[in-house]
Amino acid sequence: MASKVDVELVPLNTFSDADLASFLRKNGLALKPEEAKKAASLIGRNPTITELHIFNIQWSEHSSYKSSRNILKMLPTSAPNVILGPKEDAGIVEFATIDCEKYGIVISHESHNHPSQVVPYEGAATGVGGNIRDVACMGAKVIASADPLRFGDLHGQNKNKTKYIANEVINGIAGYGNPLGIPILAGDIYSNSSFDENCLVNVVCLGIIKEKDIIHSAAPPHAEGYDIIVVGKATDNSGFGGAAFASLILDEKDEQSNKGAVQVPDPFLKNILLRATYAVFEEARKKNIILGFKDMGAGGIMCATSELCDAGGYGCTLDLDKVHVSMDNLPPYIIACGETQERFTWISPPSFTKTILRIYNENFALPTIAEHAQASVVGKVTKEKDYILTHNGNVVCNAPVDVITSGIRYDREKKESKRDLNEPQLPEPSDYAQEILSVLRHPNVASKKCVYDRYDTHVLGLTIIPPGQADAGLMAPLHGKKPGVALSVDCNPRYNRISPYWGAANAVAESMRNVAAIGAVPSALTDCLNYGNPEIPEVFHDFCEGVRGIADAASKLFYKGTTNPVPVISGNVSFYNESKKGKAIDPSPIIACVGVMPDYSKAITMKLKKAGSILVLLGKRKDELGGSVYYDVHGKLGKNVPLVDFEDERNHIYTIIDAIDKRLLLSCHDISDGGMIAAVAEMMLGADADGAIGAELVLKSSKLSLSKALFSESSGFVAEVAQENLDALRVVGKKYGTEIFIIGKTTTEQKLKINDEIILSIPEMARAWSNGFKEAMR
Amino acid sequence: MKPKIAVILFPGTNREDESLRAIEAAGMDAFLFRWNLKEDITPFDGYFIPGGWSYEDRIRSGAIASKDPLMQKIKAEAAKGKPVIGICNGAQILVECGMIPGLKGKVETTCFNKLATVNNSTSGSVASKVEMALAPNLDGFWCFWTHLKNSAKTSRCAFNKLYKQGVVFQTPIAHGEGRFTTKDPAVVKQLQENDQVIFQYSTKSGEINRDFPINPNGAVLNAAAICNKEGNVMAMMPHPEVASFNKQLPYFEGHSFEECEQLAPAHLIFQSMKKYIEERKK
Repeated sequence: MASKVDVELVPLNTFSDADLASFLRKNGLALKPEEAKKAASLIGRNPTITELHIFNIQWSEHSSYKSSRNILKMLPTSAPNVILGPKEDAGIVEFATIDCEKYGIVISHESHNHPSQVVPYEGAATGVGGNIRDVACMGAKVIASADPLRFGDLHGQNKNKTKYIANEVINGIAGYGNPLGIPILAGDIYSNSSFDENCLVNVVCLGIIKEKDIIHSAAPPHAEGYDIIVVGKATDNSGFGGAAFASLILDEKDEQSNKGAVQVPDPFLKNILLRATYAVFEEARKKNIILGFKDMGAGGIMCATSELCDAGGYGCTLDLDKVHVSMDNLPPYIIACGETQERFTWISPPSFTKTILRIYNENFALPTIAEHAQASVVGKVTKEKDYILTHNGNVVCNAPVDVITSGIRYDREKKESKRDLNEPQLPEPSDYAQEILSVLRHPNVASKKCVYDRYDTHVLGLTIIPPGQADAGLMAPLHGKKPGVALSVDCNPRYNRISPYWGAANAVAESMRNVAAIGAVPSALTDCLNYGNPEIPEVFHDFCEGVRGIADAASKLFYKGTTNPVPVISGNVSFYNESKKGKAIDPSPIIACVGVMPDYSKAITMKLKKAGSILVLLGKRKDELGGSVYYDVHGKLGKNVPLVDFEDERNHIYTIIDAIDKRLLLSCHDISDGGMIAAVAEMMLGADADGAIGAELVLKSSKLSLSKALFSESSGFVAEVAQENLDALRVVGKKYGTEIFIIGKTTTEQKLKINDEIILSIPEMARAWSNGFKEAMR
Repeated sequence: MKPKIAVILFPGTNREDESLRAIEAAGMDAFLFRWNLKEDITPFDGYFIPGGWSYEDRIRSGAIASKDPLMQKIKAEAAKGKPVIGICNGAQILVECGMIPGLKGKVETTCFNKLATVNNSTSGSVASKVEMALAPNLDGFWCFWTHLKNSAKTSRCAFNKLYKQGVVFQTPIAHGEGRFTTKDPAVVKQLQENDQVIFQYSTKSGEINRDFPINPNGAVLNAAAICNKEGNVMAMMPHPEVASFNKQLPYFEGHSFEECEQLAPAHLIFQSMKKYIEERKK
């Protein structure tokens, strides 16, 4: 029997397909006519307008992963060190056991690309905000965030808008994260013309939690009759349809209406909301109360409450009139589905509800912090598995809860695109020094200090290595204890333009090298898969190749000491990233890697420590300059993208980790953008470009030209080792079959010398590297 | 008995964790005191107003918090000689309510007098002049490490008792409005004569240089921390609470775990605070 509602139904069955399409468009619904009909058949009757809005959001690409879910099954998501895989708002990986107490690192990785393109400050800020809630709602203390950013060509024809967006995005991240008091631990920035009309703003967020304290995004056992409590900002009409908006192609015509789909950030309220929430955690733990808790992001109250209840095997009834709102006469579907920021949902036994209300409304006085902000009881968990919403006393939605949460699937067509690739035949440079300076000046290589110095990187007092000093950031989140957590993000767009498979595999390998370069063991990954329109077979092919590349690399670059994968524990898919003319962005499977370090005091940065040490290279230089910075400087893309030799890669990573654990290395840097010579230059300069130690390199190779040896971006490491530790390092290398090549030594003379022929002074290198990005952003 | 310090949580404070930790590491007991608690604040031996952006920094940084009734109570305790330190947003609050530089000789504040003038026209009190402000940095928000020089005489204030004059140490900044400024040349002169500028931004070797980034915000006299005339209240823009342990210092590498966990030079500010309280009690 069809479920009963008290309001008018949309007579879908009487519409022609054309009428239905125009009805949906007129009501701002992105559902396709056949999807609307499918929704009706699942409910067993014509839907109400509220129900249509619910399916519109739940079946958006953003919420349902309808194109990607079948492909994502390829990813390795389980391993012995996984506490929670990619099932809830954030994943959790084992961190350390201290005094018989097991701790986990919580990680979430999201995109906020379209909002940031349309309203960059607010788009970026709410991206940070949403991600922080994802981590907090697991019951964790939020400790860090990171921002992989992709902007258009800073020198290209769209440069003015690109710089505006880039600066506003950076201001938005700073303007939200700084007042909230969450330090930035890592990040990267690439710019090229494929992002001219669709920037990427990804956010990674970390938290820490004791395993026994995890709060799940589910109604707990025996939750029948529990209260559903909405806390935080008063619901308004901001961010309505954000999930659906994220799943559409950006169209300039719709710019004004799209702006309305971007949420409004309130870091001040969030600051207090977060502290009040920590107080609830503490109180609940003291009293052994099991609660359900969830962030309100895409789909707002509807998504949070339906998923909480369904995950626990329950249904619910919600009275939308009890939701605290800041606007009159909001239609029920906006109250239910709007994406007003700074809100959470609790499921609480009635006996504990008073405590929750007291903490938010009295102790932390939310109503005095932001207009109409508070904690409100809005409904009850029911044994019947129906999702019932009432408004003005009328039932406006009544559908089986699993119908609402289960989503839909599509098997998209895929087709390999023809890539017209070839290797350029560049002559050997007449002036190597100038070539090196051009590479150091390139915006993708040059120092990003002018960006991360705008972010608070020390707040909380747990930071050991802030951004810029090493390939990964490091924190010791348990004060007074040894374990450290490292974080790095990576993905090179140009590698992906050449090969979406190797581009993705390289992103995984490099993010692991980054955490290894400071001494941490790569322990878990997250992926945010940013691609174009999945309905285009060539784009969908790139997406599938990307997932396959991640899956292969994660599975074959074993978690150290095992043959288990380094698991992918959280992630996100962002489709429809393309230019106005329909050209997709460079495939961008952005990877974050969490590293665990048993003793943070052993960590090293990339800056050279003293004259008279030996510089060693791990990883042969190969003719792999496809997608390299060197080729880009010469206006070429190339073909020979670096391939990941999984066995070599593993062995290099393990060698570096063991060497740092034995305190054999003084500094270390992984080889990536700009190749080996950029790595050496950055080691000489240090984050502040104030280095005072020189380097003399002797590079003799019969196989590769000198320019290729210098600028090839084949995987590897450069490390500084004291003369007396060289033998011990070789012993470690031997254990893993890693060849250790001596490429030179460090000197007191403040110069970079190569084969006694190429000579550069530190100040001229510092100028190029320090100003390259900064000036491009002006 | 260990000295008891109230670490104040205003709505918007975000540096309470590391502030509590720095106080505890100095051998004092730290209590987080939420702005709307009903408890009495007078039994504490000292007060710490941490960084953040209290009350969303509406109007100006620290402006609203300086008018919170809690500040009036803290001001009264300061008048008894108890130590009060405000860091970053806490410094902005202390300057906003006139406790810094407090040149009137009493810990009378301009802002409460002003309020009184508005609220009670019969009182006849005239608002005193605003002596200092923490103005926007010349170039926006910055977060990086600076060198600070203890320019004042040792024990000039409650917070530099353990620093030799001229010693230089590292502390990071993280602020957008940290430029100590005044339009009154007489105030500058008095600050110098009274030796009230405790820490100055300097080069690594202690040279006072006004160039960015040595002076990161354009502060008058390169001032990073200024105390009141009596020396029991200090407003400081950089963050010693996150430079309290060696592990937090930049490039502190190649050391044992134990060395990493040891206290760093900036922490002497909190150890000085403890010493000041203990000496006062004697």
